[in-house]
Amino acid sequence: MSVDKSTKAPRGTVQCENTNINLLKANDFVADIIKKEMAKSNTLLVNITSSAGSGKTTLMQKTAEKLKDKLTIAVMVGDLETERDAERIRETGIQALQIVTGGICHLEAQMIHQVLDQFDLPNIDLLFIENVGNLVCPASFDLGEDYRVTLMATTEGDDKPKKYPRMFLTSDMMLVSKSDLLPYLPFSVEAVTKDAHEVNHELEVIQISSLSEEGIDEWCDWLVEKVKQKQQA
Amino acid sequence: MHETSIVNSIMRTLKMEFEQEKLNTMKAIHLKVGILSNIEPRLLHNAYSAYHITNPGYHHVSLHVESVDIKIQCEVCNHITDVKNYRFLCENCDRPSKNLIQGEEMLIHKVEFED
Repeated sequence: MSVDKSTKAPRGTVQCENTNINLLKANDFVADIIKKEMAKSNTLLVNITSSAGSGKTTLMQKTAEKLKDKLTIAVMVGDLETERDAERIRETGIQALQIVTGGICHLEAQMIHQVLDQFDLPNIDLLFIENVGNLVCPASFDLGEDYRVTLMATTEGDDKPKKYPRMFLTSDMMLVSKSDLLPYLPFSVEAVTKDAHEVNHELEVIQISSLSEEGIDEWCDWLVEKVKQKQQA
Repeated sequence: MHETSIVNSIMRTLKMEFEQEKLNTMKAIHLKVGILSNIEPRLLHNAYSAYHITNPGYHHVSLHVESVDIKIQCEVCNHITDVKNYRFLCENCDRPSKNLIQGEEMLIHKVEFED
């Protein structure tokens, strides 16, 4: 932050402070605290974002099912109302906590920090944040995550990366979900990948289906590798 | 909803940065927001008006929002490109780049106080 404080201005004039402070500094301050807590416990924190209905919760269930014997996984899930998603995830036998935002369309670092003490972090290898289904605001709020993963369902249409560029620009991985529906939809994986790479050439892409299990092993291997890297860091 | 959170964050941030006594003399807040910030200036002004209903102390403080276009600087040839249609490619050498030099900012750029 560059602070260029004006010297004493003559009486009757306006004094200006050129601040250049990030206007989400209050959020980012808490995000840094979360990062430090995760570093202390060697827990990998993954923020899962997408539009509503692209299969985040089903992917959480499938991931828990596949990896729960290898890793200790927990999920915090944000929604405007209801505890339905956390209940669905708990059915797989892992800890899941619902964050009800009460109408707010994204999760903020403060909300994550408030519930962190509900988790036994030193014994959790992988903590997911299932964000509120929305490709706009969740892109702006750093939650202290190690990786941001965005689901892009084949049912949404292949034009989303250019419509919501900040989300794809700030993500590390794009999961093209519901790939089992590809034969029935006018959706081009090639086109969506091309657009996404024009926005962010470093974005990793995996095509997945939680129902047919296409790509699920590759996704789980990616997670296991990232957990290993975090624990060796 | 998003803009409401951002207004709250701006006010929280200012309270972290300045003493309350100084904030009482605040006259204007100037923001710089990049096209990639997902902040719509008109909606931010609406959210700011709504903020005053529950926080009447700052109703006299004006808000100014400047939009900023997206620019990248190529890591290889150093050329600066105005990004159009969200194609993050250097227009000179056609290489992809994420080296944003402008367009992502969400800044409280300047604050004015009564002397």
